Amino acid sequence: MGDPSSVPTFKFLGLTFNADNVISGLIAFIIVFLLVFALSRKLTMKPGKGQNVLEWIIDFTNGILKGQIPGNEASAFGLYGFTLFLFLFVSNELGLFIQIAVGGKDYVKSPTSDPMITLTFSLATIMLAQFAGVAKLGYKQHFRNYLKPFVFWLPISIFEEFTNFLTLGLRIFGVIYSGEMLLKIIGQMAFSHGIATLIVSVPIEMIWQGFSLFLGAIQAYVFLTLSSVYISRKLEAE
Amino acid sequence: MLAHLTIVPGVGLALGDMLFYAICFIILMWLIKLVAWKPVNKMMQDRADKIANDIDSAEQSRTDAAKLAAQRQEALANSHKEASSIVSDAKQQGQQTRTSLLADAQSDVQTLKSNAQKDIEQERQDALSNAKNDVADLSIEIASKIIHKELNANDQKALIDSYIEGLGKHNES
Repeated sequence: MGDPSSVPTFKFLGLTFNADNVISGLIAFIIVFLLVFALSRKLTMKPGKGQNVLEWIIDFTNGILKGQIPGNEASAFGLYGFTLFLFLFVSNELGLFIQIAVGGKDYVKSPTSDPMITLTFSLATIMLAQFAGVAKLGYKQHFRNYLKPFVFWLPISIFEEFTNFLTLGLRIFGVIYSGEMLLKIIGQMAFSHGIATLIVSVPIEMIWQGFSLFLGAIQAYVFLTLSSVYISRKLEAE
Repeated sequence: MLAHLTIVPGVGLALGDMLFYAICFIILMWLIKLVAWKPVNKMMQDRADKIANDIDSAEQSRTDAAKLAAQRQEALANSHKEASSIVSDAKQQGQQTRTSLLADAQSDVQTLKSNAQKDIEQERQDALSNAKNDVADLSIEIASKIIHKELNANDQKALIDSYIEGLGKHNES
């Protein structure tokens, strides 16, 4: 993957697209939609199995948001948090089950193992936070917060926004990318020296897959928690 | 490594991916909102409302039940009172009837007794007077028979005397 030739690209409307990311992303989007669609059939006052699961997920993401964002403002970000969490979770786990490479080029893997994708979502979160801050406090109060605690703090405040954006995106990328990298290395090791390495590698691969599954869930949770922290910080006048 | 991944050699940053993901994410958000978010949240809200309503109505019915129980208790107490008054009325009436019946019977018996006494007296009087008449007739008959048989001076004299005596006695009595 580190080799540039392993990235299949095509151009459309003057923009460069990565076929790998497009295909994997579409799969993740479709899985999330089908999951939610399947769970939200037959909604009743007394919830069935699917509805219970869906309501549990909604309560979970709402709980994360409400833990950070005070008051009723959390409900405005409920849908964003819910979709973000589900998409990141599915994206993180996707590469653990399916990795397709054709002719030395990856076509399906975890979308979140590409920093462009994770930075897209962290950028979305930072922009949403800025937008929410301006919408609640107004331009004047919002930008005055950059001058707190004193005027010379301004470069640090601006830099902080930038680092928030980078760390939020790169944290999830690092964990998922390294997880997949290790899976690949273990896989290569399995077929390197015949049956002996295969027997040794299978349990290691299984353990690492389980651990990656756990890490993927944790990273989706962390991403949403940090998103809500960044949003809540912009909502209050310091 | 980052450069290798993000910047495709010769073509620059893969901005298309970012755009693709942003648009797809917005579409996904919209679809989820349409399919699940709104109906599920509405259902959750409805459920919360229903539970609140149920709690309220349970409270309402509890107070209603307490009220009804109090009413029933009161009605029960009233019926007790009524029943005891009915019983006492009946007792009183019975007592009255008994005394009046007794008095009637007593007076009836008294009347019957006095009538019977009167009748007996009457009977006795009648029998006495009849016997007197009979005695008088018999004595006259006897007397006439004796007179027809032998009537001499002495006897005549004695008879007249006795007659006179008898008259005098008769007058006296």
